[in-house]
Amino acid sequence: MEEVYHIIGKKVPRVDALSKAMGDLKYVSDLYLPGILVGKVLRSPLPHGKILHIDIFKAVRLPGVKAIITAEDTPQRKFCMNPAWANNMILQGEKVRYVGDQVAAVAAIDEDIATEAISLIKVDYEPLPAVFDPEEAMKPGAPKIHQEENNIALHSVRNFGDVEQGFREADTICEGTFYSPAIAHCCLEPRGCVAYYDLSGKLSVWSTTQTPHPLREELSEVLGIPQNKISVFQAPMGGAFGARMGMDPIDGIAAVLSMKSGRPVKVVNTREEEFLSSRIRYPMRVWIKSGAKGNGRLIAREIKVVTDNGAYNHEGQYIMGNAGSKLAQLYAVPNIRYDGFLVYTNNVYGGAFRGYGNPQITYAMEIQLDQIAEALHMDPAVIRMINANKPNSVTASGCKIGSCGLTECIKTVAESSKWEGKKRAKKEEQFSPRRGIGMACMIHGGSGVKFFWGKDCNFSSAIVKINTDGSIDLLTGSAELGQGSNTTLAMIVAEILGVSLSSMNIINGDTDTTPACLGAWGSRQTFSAGNAVRYAALEARKMLFEVASELLEAPIQDLQARDGNIFVSGTPTKYVTVKQAAAESWRNRGNPIIGKGVNVDPWSIQPDLKTGYGNVSSAYAFAAQAAEVEVDTETGFVNVINFWCGHDVGKAINPLGVECQIEGGVVSMGLGYALMENLILEGGKVQNANFADYKIPTMLDSCQVKTYFIESMDEHGPFGAKGVGEPAMIPSAAAVANAIYDAVGVWVTELPITPEKLLKAIKEKQTSER
Amino acid sequence: MDKVPITISVNGESHKALVKPSTTLLDFLREHLFLTGTKKGCNTGECGACTVILDGRVVNSCLILAVDANGSQVITVEGLGDAEHPHPLQKAFVEHGAIQCGYCSPGMLISSKALLDRNPNPSEAEIKMTLAGNLCRCGGYLKIIEAIRSVAKT
Repeated sequence: MEEVYHIIGKKVPRVDALSKAMGDLKYVSDLYLPGILVGKVLRSPLPHGKILHIDIFKAVRLPGVKAIITAEDTPQRKFCMNPAWANNMILQGEKVRYVGDQVAAVAAIDEDIATEAISLIKVDYEPLPAVFDPEEAMKPGAPKIHQEENNIALHSVRNFGDVEQGFREADTICEGTFYSPAIAHCCLEPRGCVAYYDLSGKLSVWSTTQTPHPLREELSEVLGIPQNKISVFQAPMGGAFGARMGMDPIDGIAAVLSMKSGRPVKVVNTREEEFLSSRIRYPMRVWIKSGAKGNGRLIAREIKVVTDNGAYNHEGQYIMGNAGSKLAQLYAVPNIRYDGFLVYTNNVYGGAFRGYGNPQITYAMEIQLDQIAEALHMDPAVIRMINANKPNSVTASGCKIGSCGLTECIKTVAESSKWEGKKRAKKEEQFSPRRGIGMACMIHGGSGVKFFWGKDCNFSSAIVKINTDGSIDLLTGSAELGQGSNTTLAMIVAEILGVSLSSMNIINGDTDTTPACLGAWGSRQTFSAGNAVRYAALEARKMLFEVASELLEAPIQDLQARDGNIFVSGTPTKYVTVKQAAAESWRNRGNPIIGKGVNVDPWSIQPDLKTGYGNVSSAYAFAAQAAEVEVDTETGFVNVINFWCGHDVGKAINPLGVECQIEGGVVSMGLGYALMENLILEGGKVQNANFADYKIPTMLDSCQVKTYFIESMDEHGPFGAKGVGEPAMIPSAAAVANAIYDAVGVWVTELPITPEKLLKAIKEKQTSER
Repeated sequence: MDKVPITISVNGESHKALVKPSTTLLDFLREHLFLTGTKKGCNTGECGACTVILDGRVVNSCLILAVDANGSQVITVEGLGDAEHPHPLQKAFVEHGAIQCGYCSPGMLISSKALLDRNPNPSEAEIKMTLAGNLCRCGGYLKIIEAIRSVAKT
């Protein structure tokens, strides 16, 4: 019998929505403290150069300037999310390695003075030869960017099964090369940080971070300040999407400026700085080869990836691991080889971005699957169902697929989109625009992954306190980026304690008061932090029930919590309120109700570092998306009309929140990735560092999106739930590309699919057919 | 540079201030009046996060100098409603899930209000055309359109 919940599974408006709608919620950039200074960063105009001399003589004498710092004013400790790969510094002292690299910083009484002071700092550089193409940078003799032997930051190979034998057994083989460019996150709120180092030696930092607790560790390392002297507050923020994972140099810069000036300092990127020096989606060139049997079964897959790491290590090594793993995960392919190079260049460096290497690989894999289907005269939906992973299976790479609704996702999308009829419809050759429909699937970790920070590390923790009036304090170290995690987590607590959302005081991402959590990344908050708050709420409920059991003279196992009451099952009139039980425990038993929950995520392990074998996630999320497009064959313009999205989310805790994630993933990001976005770098300099030249989807670009939840009820997820944040946009671009092929018979393998590229491909096809 | 005296009415309240001639209306609202509901997303008139109503016109407040708004009436998101009586659009945005990170929401709401003031029952095409200058990176716009239409119908 399906459990009946009082709040889980209901469409609930997010808890912070009204204060956002009223313009009341304070973001990092809205924070003002008495005496606050404005910090500005001097950035390198060169892609590669030696810093010979920095002259601050004029700048330091400008009235209103309170502090100027260069590398000499910092501890000059290298940092990276994984310290083993650290080669970045908050201010560079010896060399600059990309256009936008940070060289010096100023704190002044207002922005005009800070900006003027920056212009008065003179830096003598010795330009060095630079390299921008990772394939050039790999060659012997290429300009060396770091001290290391060459520019290859990582070369990893993964072999599962016997790929040669697999290809020998294949009846059809396809191969091709795909390219995914640099993509900017374009969070509407630019990255910012307010830091205040007070006289007691305490550093308080309000940052647009999605990893508050790890940020405290990083700041402690890079500044040489003990962790108990640093408080990180994750303020409400205007989007993150991976960009705010790990420390940004401006977090450290704001701190050092405050230490030097003795005043609070706010550093907020300009929009231009967001494009120049924020993280990007790692550009990848992907060569991929797939072999299938005549019945459509994929039997072997091989991939070679060259990734532009940019100037510094941030998350490239992990991204490569995640990207490579998808080859062996999405479908049950027995023989796999992955060969990946991560290469330094003098370009802006990459970081996490919704999908973590997966969108780049999925674009290649899912187009190639359509090519195989065509070679075998099979329907693309059918070949996907034939190869789809099944529940309770193990992939060639050792991933234990538990809950898996991929087949249902494909079926649902095919039915709702009237797939078969549309695929059968005869295309009118002369008619423009021409319609087409295409599909793509994806797998992604639905619980976070175990490869960061240590060999067994994917935890969250939480505390639930019940006050004497029955109100509740929920303390979680998680990060609310706008994705809605606070609402989801509060719903879990409300369900377990039988209370309303309005009774909840949610404190999140504050390292002073909240227990440790690794933060919001890897689509893990619902699963990982969700389990932590579930355990905390269950412990608090156990304490409540012990008190209520005595008050009601009823056994604990007969008690239920609902509507703010604890009642005896079957006898709703026999109850005490949560308030009465909490107050009784507090006042007459000296035992305030405090529940603690830690999710140590015992169901996954860090994959073997040499072979890559192992179950990296505790749960896997799946999706199938179908796109319907119209292509104007005269202009190459693509109009996306419809999207049907079938997502295996385990259980939709808040269906409204899940819809928001999926619609946003498809429209605001997926369509941009597919059709528009490309951070253009020439000589290492970003050419389109503004929204006029770097286009993201507007309301006019939006299309109809229908979402379908496949609730596979994961055995480890809270109430069966798995993550959905990243999955929302991962397959969208491939679905659009396959729909374009259905319409006009060409694939554009290099993203984005601009009208110019598509028109060229259409013309080439017409020429070759003549 | 010498500061200039200005008088601007914001959400019905008159404010006198001395501002630098280079101060934008956006910075005046945020840094002089601490009305931080109006957001700075790009400061170049491309994202719409700073949208306000200036003497009945919808403008990007980052592109207007405060001195040029001297003597004008400005409506910001804080002026749409209050805690007890949110504007119907504010309620609809909340209920329809039209808000995620919320950074675009003030600008979206102001643009929507101006649209409905002008045309109480706009078509979907009119909504899209009018709000095309307000960027959102989280939500995909559909719930915003839904929210506006729900208010338009009533």
